[in-house]
Amino acid sequence: MQVVKTDIVVVGGGGAGLRAAIAVNESDPQLRVALISKVVPMRSHTVAAEGGSAGVVRTDDSLDYHFNDTVSGGDWLCDQESVEYFVTHCVEEMVQLEHWGCPWSRQADGHVNVRFFGGMRVQRTWFAADKSGFHILHTLFQTSLKYPRIERFDEFFCVDLIVEDGRVRGVVAIEIATGELFLFECRAVIFATGGAGRVFRQNTNAGIVTGDGMGIAFRHGVPLRDMEFMQWHPTALPGTGILITEACRGEGGILTNKDGYRYLQDYGLGPPEPFPRVKAMELGPRDRLSQAFWHEEQKGRTLQTAHGSAVNLDLRHLGAKKIHERLPMITEASKTFVGVDPVTAPIPVRPAMHYTMGGILCNKETETPLPGLFAAGECSSVGIHGANRLGSNSLAELLVFGKVAGEGAARYARTVPAGSSEPIRKQAESISDRVLGYLNLGKGERVAKIRREMTETMETGVGIYRKSATMQSACDRLAELRARYRQGVKLDDSNRVFNTEWMSAIELGFTLDVAQAIAHSALERRESRGAHQRLDEYHERDDENYLVHSLAYFTADGAPSIRYMPVVITKSRPAKRIYGGEGKQAVLT
Amino acid sequence: MTESVRTIAIECLRYNPETDEAPHYQTYDVPFTDDMSVLEGLQYIKDELDGSLTFRWSCRMAICGSCGSMVNGVPQLSCHTFLRNYYPGKVRIEPLNHFPILRDLAIDQTDFVRNKLPAIKPYLIAKEDKTLAQGEFLQTPGEMHKYYHYSECINCLLCYAACPQYGLNPEFAGPAAIALMHRYNADSRDAGRAERMQLGNSDEGVWGCTLVGYCSEVCPKGVDPAHAINQNKVASTVDYFLRFLTPHGGK
Amino acid sequence: MSQVRTYTRPMAGWWRKNPYFVKYMIREASAPLFYAYALWLLAGLVALARGEAAYNTWRSASSHPLSILLHAVVVVFAIYHTWTWFRVLPKTTPDIDVQPRVLVAAGVAVAVVCCAALFAFAWWATR
Repeated sequence: MQVVKTDIVVVGGGGAGLRAAIAVNESDPQLRVALISKVVPMRSHTVAAEGGSAGVVRTDDSLDYHFNDTVSGGDWLCDQESVEYFVTHCVEEMVQLEHWGCPWSRQADGHVNVRFFGGMRVQRTWFAADKSGFHILHTLFQTSLKYPRIERFDEFFCVDLIVEDGRVRGVVAIEIATGELFLFECRAVIFATGGAGRVFRQNTNAGIVTGDGMGIAFRHGVPLRDMEFMQWHPTALPGTGILITEACRGEGGILTNKDGYRYLQDYGLGPPEPFPRVKAMELGPRDRLSQAFWHEEQKGRTLQTAHGSAVNLDLRHLGAKKIHERLPMITEASKTFVGVDPVTAPIPVRPAMHYTMGGILCNKETETPLPGLFAAGECSSVGIHGANRLGSNSLAELLVFGKVAGEGAARYARTVPAGSSEPIRKQAESISDRVLGYLNLGKGERVAKIRREMTETMETGVGIYRKSATMQSACDRLAELRARYRQGVKLDDSNRVFNTEWMSAIELGFTLDVAQAIAHSALERRESRGAHQRLDEYHERDDENYLVHSLAYFTADGAPSIRYMPVVITKSRPAKRIYGGEGKQAVLT
Repeated sequence: MTESVRTIAIECLRYNPETDEAPHYQTYDVPFTDDMSVLEGLQYIKDELDGSLTFRWSCRMAICGSCGSMVNGVPQLSCHTFLRNYYPGKVRIEPLNHFPILRDLAIDQTDFVRNKLPAIKPYLIAKEDKTLAQGEFLQTPGEMHKYYHYSECINCLLCYAACPQYGLNPEFAGPAAIALMHRYNADSRDAGRAERMQLGNSDEGVWGCTLVGYCSEVCPKGVDPAHAINQNKVASTVDYFLRFLTPHGGK
Repeated sequence: MSQVRTYTRPMAGWWRKNPYFVKYMIREASAPLFYAYALWLLAGLVALARGEAAYNTWRSASSHPLSILLHAVVVVFAIYHTWTWFRVLPKTTPDIDVQPRVLVAAGVAVAVVCCAALFAFAWWATR
């Protein structure tokens, strides 16, 4: 096994990982950083984010407004100290990106432009056409090339952590090109491994979003927090789940059912006019919009497509000029994948799994309970999203907390000695044996079969609306799938060189663990809040008993055990989430 | 609308360095529907027929740049190329041209990622110093328009597969790298042109191009690398002559 | 990092494998033809400098059927080369707000006008 000695390992080369690696170098140029990613960094899923990144710049906006929009958007499950820190630091991070070359879209006078997004009271979403994530990721990746202390290990698949003497000492990874195992010895590890959307059948996510870091941390006793809160993005293409950005609605797009009726007015988001109006109708929060779709589907008012039911996302009234200028990528996607030109016809859309609000428990310094392990980005639960994330808070999160993680890991690394040891090597050997054991097993089921059953189970049992019976059944099915997985997964590919079937078998293990955490957390939360909505007796929000975060703990033999921890409330006491209502027409920029 | 299910033959190049001296081909019969992409065809093969077929993919929506391959001899992104356009003929899929083959359809991308891309200094070398508190550099929509479409490169490497000069002379920086170099040179906030043109003005830079132009034809994002390279030949020539006139050369 | 035995495909015959490259090679093949034609014209210039006898020899050689054939081939290639030259013109200009097809049309129009003017002059000069 090859050994690499370094100071800090960052697992994940997306927005949060790159930002963290740069932050380590900027705060302490002496420290060596190894950036390990299972794909070359510009392939990371940050690249697919479209809509934008939030930051308060307008004079009619304030940090308090952003704070309140986020906390109420999260149905009061946010840790308000984290949100406070977050909203205070968004703008400086986005200005930093701009100084690094990010092509934010501009107003005529040269200042950065901002647009409306769901659940936001004032325009504060910075955007780079409708490819904001693409531009942010490429800016970060290209900027990272300026820092020679960042040593990149592209296409290295991290499979486990090494913990010794109660703290993190390294990671083990497979060099995908050769199938060789590598031990990285270090003083601190930052996980920036992304979400777990591939747990569900229809999702907007890339194939790589399999919850690897969550799965690894989980197995080392780090709890996964608030996993029941999985966000269904209301507008994705039927079948593929390809994302059609919320920015379409931020620019004035509307949603109609098969009768051409703007159905959101029936679900507490109306009245429909004047439009657009902040936090109303199509500018409401994602959980409400996805839930409205579900109801329309039950009532038979949705369109039928080859890949299930859908509603219309109508952009025609925006005009060709605005559509081509502000929404070029989704125009391309719509034409390519469903043969619809949004200038002349509405785009068929339906909800698809999109984002993991929960994740690896960490504080607002991105420290997890495991000393030496930090978490940033979608894989973490730093407490800013609560029960439902507002669009454009996630890209900002990567930057704000990516930096915090980098600086925090650098500080921590200075306090602990580096060094190798026999127990560490032994652990690495045993991990290596375990992962090599997948090859040449000769028995078991196909990866795709177990994976397909898992995603279908989750979609049916832990979907937009949940019931105890469906969730229980999902939990039982998942336990069975885990058992079948443990009996063995048979690979057609027994080679070491670039064996992606082997990778997917290991990923499936992580995804199954995360799926169990989601299903059990959902079953145990006996209330409805944000993105977790129940149709059984627990269909109301219950602040008395459930104004708490759920914590899922891995148990080797059975279901995850679910415990709870308090939510940090400072300025904003839980109230009713109000959207829609009267209001004046917003001026779109 | 009901989808009728037909079968198409997908022929893939296979190469396993552990067992093969040279590549060979293997054909699979894949049931497909009208809206299935070539990538989905490959995924069907891997999931149901032959798990050892190796190919890169990620986003499925032509933004990550992972899934480039030669489809019937033309560089394409397999995620947004559709099987229906080849039926009833066979679809032949090979790894991108002009790169060494690692395994099956996966190429060795390191020449681009490790050499070509960093060499052109693809980061903003700012004209002025500004603190974060002072806010963003101002840039009008007109100024952004000058470089923006060159910034849309997803690094999919189709242009390198299209460029015979890169195939014949791997030292050539290549279309995507030079387009990205131009993107920064043309950015009103940037002052790094002189640094970048050390490479840009050489035979490995713009002068390695003979304007075949196929790179711009195959680019899925309309970056137009041929334009980026060839408009710089005039500037490069001017630089060359100015070198003799001014002590520090053209700037 | 460890090495893998990658496979490098040979470039031999690359231009035959794609119609786009075949057209490119035809464009490039015009270059030696123009070189040959330039040498022929140079020979004519030298003959002119040497005097009437030499020049008449060159003129009668020029009207030999083989020479006419060479000239015809060169004209065909010249037209193709001109056409492809203007086709790539938009790639060589700085970023301007003119549609590429407008640039191409303008270039071709200029070429047509120049040829017409040249023919008109030749007709007038030799009438």
